[in-house]
Amino acid sequence: MIDGLLPGLVAALKPLGLNYAFALDASERAAFVRGLGITLQLCLLTIPGSLLAGVAIAAALTSGRPWLAQPARAFVEVTRNTPTLVQLYCAFLVLNMLITQQLRPLGGANPLTPFVWVVIVVSLHKGVFHAEALRAGIEAVPRITLEAARSLGFSQRQLLARVELPLAVRFALPSLVNNLIDLVKMTAVASAIAVGDVTYESIMIWTQRDNVLELLLLILLYFGLLTWLVSLAGRWLEERWRMPGYGQ
Amino acid sequence: MASELTLNPATTADPADAASPWRSPWVLTALCVAAVVAFWTATGSTPVVFAHLWKWLPVMLRGLLVNIEISVLAMALGTLVGLLIGALSLSPSKALRTVTRWYVQAFRNAPILVLIYFTTYVFPFEIQLVSWTFPFPDWIKVVLGLALPASANVAEIFRGAIQSIPSAQWEAAQSLAFRRREIFRLIVLPQCVRRMLPPWMNLYASITMSTSLASLVGVHDVVDTAQIASNTVARTDFTILVYFTLLTLFFAYCYPIARATRVLERRHDRF
Repeated sequence: MIDGLLPGLVAALKPLGLNYAFALDASERAAFVRGLGITLQLCLLTIPGSLLAGVAIAAALTSGRPWLAQPARAFVEVTRNTPTLVQLYCAFLVLNMLITQQLRPLGGANPLTPFVWVVIVVSLHKGVFHAEALRAGIEAVPRITLEAARSLGFSQRQLLARVELPLAVRFALPSLVNNLIDLVKMTAVASAIAVGDVTYESIMIWTQRDNVLELLLLILLYFGLLTWLVSLAGRWLEERWRMPGYGQ
Repeated sequence: MASELTLNPATTADPADAASPWRSPWVLTALCVAAVVAFWTATGSTPVVFAHLWKWLPVMLRGLLVNIEISVLAMALGTLVGLLIGALSLSPSKALRTVTRWYVQAFRNAPILVLIYFTTYVFPFEIQLVSWTFPFPDWIKVVLGLALPASANVAEIFRGAIQSIPSAQWEAAQSLAFRRREIFRLIVLPQCVRRMLPPWMNLYASITMSTSLASLVGVHDVVDTAQIASNTVARTDFTILVYFTLLTLFFAYCYPIARATRVLERRHDRF
């Protein structure tokens, strides 16, 4: 079916000044589709990864133990106020190099690929923003609700699992979804360290064919689709978890 | 190392710590750094890495200046366009509102890196006007690439601020015989400016951090300089040092902005 449809589409776009001839070349099409897949994989791994990191950092921040909360706070401030690209370089060019050097005398190869580093750095980076959202959500839970639950005989654990966290997650949900949309866009930095995501594969193609505009339109459409899906999921969750008495 | 010296003048002026400057961690760090540097220069035992860093630091700071210039220009342009688009998004015409919503959606949901590639590679490298040819350098294209998402975000910030003013104020002002233009200029706008300032500063910090992406399209910014330095010196310990200096430089510029934003936000909470 693709063989019949694609030439038609390419021919139809040609009069508009858009040259999508690369789609007819089997190897370039395969590279582009692989890039689409890698970007999707990055998103699917960093979304749960960042949420886990966010919960862990938020737990450290609200733990009330200074030896845990202060390093977490410092980590949050440094991560929020430095560019993701520089963090990626610090991790991939510096830490990765150190790990490789340590492993070389032992005869082991470095198991961490650029892909893994992008997942780690982006997850931690957005995890910090999730943590701030969750902390704000926890602080937004009315004291009086917790007191009421305590007076009804909830144990400390029940209070946390049944009252505080469900409310906090609902309060934090809009900003969490916002962060996730940002995260999807952020995966484009993967191209900086040659992870073969959609941006990187497109650069490879357009240096050969000089069809930058055409490919950029495709990339923008793809990211538009991904962010739209995330916002759709977010709206579905908000709908499902709607609390009577809050919002409209 | 020495970059921390440049970090401190900006942050020690924290009013909260003004009462006891000796207990501020920033002052203590600065003193320790100064003491170590003085000891090294006095005894002539400066480690080779730091000597290299000292040599490269002026070049890196010049690179950082390029980043700051790009961020300031992009933010200025983005704010102008954004305010215009934000105002149009409140217009009574439905067609205008739809167009502005599409603009905002498109540029808020596009990765900034992709927008920078877009402006860098799609625009020509020089512009022909009648018989003159103007060069169109890459860094201006990066400014344009960053101004696009900035304008979309400013438009949203502006719209949010206008809509956060209770409509009862419009009615009350109307009953006091203010004209529509006067209400906007004397009552709504001053409150909006106050509400817009913290998110606008956040946006500025995030645009500044995004200027690091300029290195990927060949602009000689601080990230590019760090890479050149690391490749030229080619020492493992220098590579570590230079990348963490890079991190420190950005932190030193963006963290005070973040602190100031938080102070402003807290002050507005009281009103």
